[in-house]
Amino acid sequence: MSMATPLKTAGKLDLRSGSLPKPAPERTAVALTLLTIFAVSLISLWQSGISITSMIGSADNAQRFLARVGTVSFPPAAELIELTLFTLGLVLTGTLLAAALSVPVAYIAAANTTPGGAWQALGRFMTVITRAIPDVVFAMVFILVFSIGALPGILAIGLHSIGMISKLFADAIEQIDEGPRLAIRASGGTKAQEFFGGILPQVLPSWIATVLHRNDINLRGSVILGYVGVMGLGLEMSYAFKSLNYSLGVGIAIVMFVLCVAMELISGAVRKVLLGQGTSKARTGKKTAIAMTVNSKRPWTADRVRNLVWGWGAVAIALGGVWVSNINWSDLVTVWPKLPAIMAQFFPPNFGSYDFATMAMAMGKTLSIALAAMVLALGVSIIIGSFAARNVAPTPGIRTGSRFGLVIIRGVPEVILAILLIVVTGLGSQAGIIALAFGGIGLLGKLIADSVEEVNPGPQKALIATGASRLQTYFSATLPQSARAMVGHTFYLLDTNIRAATILGIVGGGGIGYYLLNAGQGSNYPLVTSIVIMILLTVLAVEGLAMWVRKVLR
Amino acid sequence: MNTQYAVKTSNLTKIYGDKKALAGVDLEVMPGEMVVLLGLSGSGKSTFLRHIDALERPTGGEVQVLGTDLSKLSGRGLRQLRSKVGFVFQQFELVPSLTALENVLTGALSTLRGPRLGLAMYPRRLRLKALETLERVGLLEWAYERADTLSGGQQQRVAIARALMQEPEILLADEPVASLDPESSIVVMDLMKEIAAERNLTVLCSLHQVDLALSWADRIVGLRHGSVVLDTPTAGLSRESVMEIYGQLAPVPEAAISDLENELKKAADARNQSLAASGAAS
Ligand SMILES: Nc1ncnc2c1ncn2[C@@H]1O[C@H](COP(=O)(O)OP(=O)(O)OP(=O)(O)O)[C@@H](O)[C@H]1O
Ligand SMILES: [Mg+2]
Repeated sequence: MSMATPLKTAGKLDLRSGSLPKPAPERTAVALTLLTIFAVSLISLWQSGISITSMIGSADNAQRFLARVGTVSFPPAAELIELTLFTLGLVLTGTLLAAALSVPVAYIAAANTTPGGAWQALGRFMTVITRAIPDVVFAMVFILVFSIGALPGILAIGLHSIGMISKLFADAIEQIDEGPRLAIRASGGTKAQEFFGGILPQVLPSWIATVLHRNDINLRGSVILGYVGVMGLGLEMSYAFKSLNYSLGVGIAIVMFVLCVAMELISGAVRKVLLGQGTSKARTGKKTAIAMTVNSKRPWTADRVRNLVWGWGAVAIALGGVWVSNINWSDLVTVWPKLPAIMAQFFPPNFGSYDFATMAMAMGKTLSIALAAMVLALGVSIIIGSFAARNVAPTPGIRTGSRFGLVIIRGVPEVILAILLIVVTGLGSQAGIIALAFGGIGLLGKLIADSVEEVNPGPQKALIATGASRLQTYFSATLPQSARAMVGHTFYLLDTNIRAATILGIVGGGGIGYYLLNAGQGSNYPLVTSIVIMILLTVLAVEGLAMWVRKVLR
Repeated sequence: MNTQYAVKTSNLTKIYGDKKALAGVDLEVMPGEMVVLLGLSGSGKSTFLRHIDALERPTGGEVQVLGTDLSKLSGRGLRQLRSKVGFVFQQFELVPSLTALENVLTGALSTLRGPRLGLAMYPRRLRLKALETLERVGLLEWAYERADTLSGGQQQRVAIARALMQEPEILLADEPVASLDPESSIVVMDLMKEIAAERNLTVLCSLHQVDLALSWADRIVGLRHGSVVLDTPTAGLSRESVMEIYGQLAPVPEAAISDLENELKKAADARNQSLAASGAAS
């Protein structure tokens, strides 16, 4: 038998000794990088001083605080309803704006629809940049540009949300079945017909799911916009806290909390009705597509009626959103001449009265909050996520329980939780880390559960057959198969955490966000630009690192 | 109690939903015997083998392995018994991202307490033993290659090495060569036979190829619809007689018989071809 055998440099003798081989240099580099990140995260967690004793100490704090607050109070009913409607209208309109704008961006960014390489690069760039610039920064700019009202908030939400929606939308476009589209092209259809007839019907479900999901995120984030002056519940809350009216501030936070959970439930229900069985992926848009085709003789099926109702319902909600947010339309015409002068205030970037070291420290603080929250969430998520996986959970009941727990955790808006914790415990960044970690468990736990369920069950069965225990099988067969996905998901969580940690600084969690808020409120716009660039570079560096790690670990 | 049998099943029955996968199988296998299970797709071969390693619990009847009634085992005792029974799967079932050596080492997990993550966590003694085992299956040079970079035949040999790390007394193999090309099939089947002889293993192996079964096994057991319809030593047996007995014992539709005949013919052709090919190569 002549079988090609690779002559390893190690040679036979070396193998015989049972010593360990030298792994490939690139994999070593990745392993070292991951270990370093892990170690730095643990150090960050340790330095943050989160511990059982400090938690107990903070319980005292909280008690004192609550005693001082006395009862929780709310704004008068009429005002509360008005504020709530306004906030909802602002968020919905902003999300819908982003949904509309993300269609062309995704179209030019997707590899199979882009008109050319330069267009694709432009699309990708817009996706990355709109995602990396926090919506509060957009809001700061637009508040300068527009008279006070809903427009700054709507545009801030609209522009910032383009990034996520168009990225996921472009991914969906790249995964379509090319058949229907080619058929339209073959029959002489235009590019537009190709898109609306061959592509959109296939990706519509994923687009709807993404937009609904983004709407939830935007509602959660709208609180922070209030801190930079965007009208709504968030602004009232920030006023309340600033004037030390804690009972009102906590009251508004609770309203916001309830609103977010309600919105989550509603969008979950809408997703279920529109997309069936609550799965947001892997459904071709057959049913929804019917509503898109123009055919006057089509019978009134239940599907058609349902689609019509939902379609017009969406339009009505959009119009309602625009109406309640009371947009000052003339602004859209009058701003243009003012724009160059306003933009010029932001350039050239500088550090103002601070030096680079101070700003770098602040950025480092934000990063360390993100890392500490990540490692805390990772530890818990691996356990809960694995128990929530069908192929690991010892009993179906444990799986259902864990899944249910993850859904509940995901429903809690972590930024509002952070605000409440920061105010109530007075712990600052520690409270921020706990809140972020809590939200992270909801996200990462689910992602880990899903990727553990996706592993090939064969090797697990094979190890059970050797007499290995459940735990041994988990470590030797399940974990190695899902490790790569877990690393990817953890980087995703880190990316989310960096953005969230920046935001936390604005509400008193420490780090770069604090300086960002101060710079904005002190009209120190060149410093705002510098801070945004620092955030951008950090986010891009993490994204680049994640891409490299994923490539090597393939 | 009869402890002289390596495997003994009495009236072993397994029902999935309303589907009878095993309809009362009585089988006794002596230590050191090489038994091939033959049967069409769906006849219950895999189900039977899974019961021997307690990967499946019977609906009725009893399974005794190495003198122990499997229904009496659980937890540590069950794992201990499983470690005495090696299992080789059609799809190899290696962990793709681990090296061949690590995959082989996982065969020794039942001798260790607690989980292991990475080569360095296994004792040196086991690492050396795993390397020896890899050498035995002719893959020492591939010890540090990832399992998913190996060919199918190589992966199956790694899987055999993993089973050998258990130091089993019984080796079960469920269509171990069904996913392999004819040449690798011969290498793998020959290897199993040699190792079984060296270590005096009891082997139960399901196959689709009657010719291979005849040349390889001491004894052939034919299953149909979850029942044993043929049980005979291979010595002095021809393919025709197997076919004949098969047909007689199982009054089945013509189509099923001609299916089996086609299958047999294909297997024979493939084998002849590969013999011719390896003859030409050497
Ligand atoms: N886990 C299961 N759930 C339900 N039915 C099953 C299960 N496993 C096997 N069966 C059924 O039991 C019968 C016997 O299946 P088995 O896999 O043992 O056959 P087999 O002889 O190994 O076939 P093949 O040659 O295709 O591997 C089949 O009808 C099969 O559909
Ligand atoms: Mg089978």
